[in-house]
Amino acid sequence: MSRNNIKQVWALLLVLVCVELCGSGRASAAPICVHGQAGCHFLSLADLFDRVIQHSARMHSISSDLHSEFEQYVLPSRNHIGRINRHCHTATILTPNGKENAQRLAREELTEVILKLLVAWKDPLWQFHQNMVHQDDFNNFSSNKALEMSYMVHELRKGVEKVADRMQNLGMISNSLSGLSSPEALDPSSDTSGESQAMSDHDLLYCFRRDSNKVQNYLKILKCRIVPENGC
Amino acid sequence: MSSCGMCVHPGISHPGKPVLINCRSPEKETFTCRWDPGFDGGLPTTHHLYYQKEDSDGMYECPDYQAAGSNSCFFNKSHTSIWVNYNITVVAINSLGSTVSDPLEVDVMYIVQPNAPENVTVSVVETEESPHLLVKWEPPHEADTRSGWITLTYQLRLKRQNKKESEWEEYASGKQTQLIIYSLHPGEVYMVQLRCKLDHSLWSEWSTTTHTEVPDYILKERSIWIVVTVFSAFIILLVTFTLAMKRKYVKHCLLPPVPGPKISGLDTQLLKSGRSEDILSSLINQSFPPTISTKDQQVDYLLVFDSEQVTPDLQNGRTRTKNSIDHGCYNHSLLMKVNNEVKVGSREMVEQGYSEGLESTFRKTKSLSTDVTSHPCPQKKPFNNVTETPKQAPVSSKYRSLSHHKDLWDSLARHLDYRETVVKSQSNCDDKHNLSSQNIVTPSKAIGCVEVQRWTKSIGLQVQVPEMDKKQEDYSKVSVVENDNIVLLKRETVPLNCTSCKVRGNHSEKCLQKPCKPNMTVPAKEGVHIGSNGYVEPVIITLYKM
Repeated sequence: MSRNNIKQVWALLLVLVCVELCGSGRASAAPICVHGQAGCHFLSLADLFDRVIQHSARMHSISSDLHSEFEQYVLPSRNHIGRINRHCHTATILTPNGKENAQRLAREELTEVILKLLVAWKDPLWQFHQNMVHQDDFNNFSSNKALEMSYMVHELRKGVEKVADRMQNLGMISNSLSGLSSPEALDPSSDTSGESQAMSDHDLLYCFRRDSNKVQNYLKILKCRIVPENGC
Repeated sequence: MSSCGMCVHPGISHPGKPVLINCRSPEKETFTCRWDPGFDGGLPTTHHLYYQKEDSDGMYECPDYQAAGSNSCFFNKSHTSIWVNYNITVVAINSLGSTVSDPLEVDVMYIVQPNAPENVTVSVVETEESPHLLVKWEPPHEADTRSGWITLTYQLRLKRQNKKESEWEEYASGKQTQLIIYSLHPGEVYMVQLRCKLDHSLWSEWSTTTHTEVPDYILKERSIWIVVTVFSAFIILLVTFTLAMKRKYVKHCLLPPVPGPKISGLDTQLLKSGRSEDILSSLINQSFPPTISTKDQQVDYLLVFDSEQVTPDLQNGRTRTKNSIDHGCYNHSLLMKVNNEVKVGSREMVEQGYSEGLESTFRKTKSLSTDVTSHPCPQKKPFNNVTETPKQAPVSSKYRSLSHHKDLWDSLARHLDYRETVVKSQSNCDDKHNLSSQNIVTPSKAIGCVEVQRWTKSIGLQVQVPEMDKKQEDYSKVSVVENDNIVLLKRETVPLNCTSCKVRGNHSEKCLQKPCKPNMTVPAKEGVHIGSNGYVEPVIITLYKM
């Protein structure tokens, strides 16, 4: 009798545990807001674009500050050699050089360009930050900025990817961007790793300042082309 | 003209070096470069601009020298590439040579400077609360803000025209193309200017000034009055509160307390209590000799006694001869109580029915008075008036009547000049005195006393005001006290003293020169003389029939 009782108790416990686990698995799905589901805060595409644009504006301002600091404090002490021969490692990426050129590009291509740029700068900035910590050229304030820059590039890329996903979901752009998420296709570091390391700090800052400005402008054009009602 | 390669004419040379001033792009799509030509060397000189782009090889010349004016080069949209470095140089060429300027590296991204905002309109919007300025404007027409290529931020500045040395007030407007300005001065003319900038570019120039006038309105004055009113109300409240807190000090300052009359030995509280015996006792109870600082407070008390004996206890160690006048009476309490102990022919102490304090006094002096036998009728002026004293009943009546005059006592005490008034009674004087026994209130102690002599027929207090030199002069008997400040004195009917009008002393006296007749009655006269010490002194001697 006692054995039967014990077995029953154990069975009951087992059933309860199973129900608990299974039930929880079904009941609480991950709260991902897709297609404006009820119950979660829905961000419109325009809001997403605004956030991304603000992010890129901040990134650009930081890069400008760092570049001007560099030119003010560090550059006079070094020999100014080969200024015209500046060569950014992202030169291989074809980017539109004007408004009409940018407007002529398709949305998907523009988005792709943006993502390519952001991907291309992740590693060099991290490397730059590492170099700065060990050097005495910059103070701590600049070192923090470099760290923040590299972090922001990473965040901005994720944001733009989200925007792209949303646009694809909304059918505004085709799904040709799905291949962009793979790091091998976008990351030019395998091709230009040597070049990126050959860049001096000054060139790096100069190139990044320009590229961040490109990203910002492309995003603005993209936004006013896709969601023109707010602030365009 | 010959080409003179070797000769040099004065004033002619190859051109000076031109200087590139700057390159500017107003809308991030085109840009213009300007240079300073420099010295032309006295010969017609031409300038050429050449540029080189970063991403392409080759030298190119400026596509447009005219569009932007002289000494300028305009790059249109097709020739403009953003995020591309331009290397620009200017060459000045004349017949003698050419000069190349320094190169200028330009990235269009960083030479952007927009034009000033356009169509600035300022209007005054009047509301009931306060008017405000509504400023509206438009971006420069060439800036493309629709495609998101350009984001402009604006800035406004304001200044009052009439007020000299006023500074510009700057307001940031962000991306909006209108702004509302509050807190205006009425009746003033305001000047408004605007400028804008691209994302991180240079600020544009200030736009042309727009003038606008704000009409007058009353609200401003009203606000000033409101402020003034509130402030003054606050001040008044503060003052009132302070005064209320310091009530006593203010009262003391504005209405200083009037000093009350001070009479030594006079207790106002005692007076207020209304107990006559206490009052009189306090009036009379005074140390001997009276050590009074001021004359005002000098109160002499009546010392009435009749014995010719020595009454040593009347004074503190002082002995009195009979018929002597002593200073003051010392036991004030004697005056009060009448014990109805009247003995005819003896020295009696009469205690008036006023206070009990005299009992002991009377008892004490009673013993003394028993010896009063026959003291001779004074050779001196018989000053005593001994009236027949009936038994106690009339005594009591007398006293009762006297008791009615307790107010008289008060006033008497106050106004009479209480020197030593010793009333001696000659109780044993027989009928020529026509006096009966007197009731004397004698002092028991030498503190001070009042001896009251009373007689049957008349109510009065025989007050003897002796002189300071203790002369046995005339003594005036008070017949009646009128009106609280008039004392009618009774002249002695002793025939010996018919001419006793010469009471000497400090007091001037009026004498009624009346014949010394009994049965003559002379009405009392006034003649209240107020002595120097403020007390009413008996100066009238009247005759009346006893």
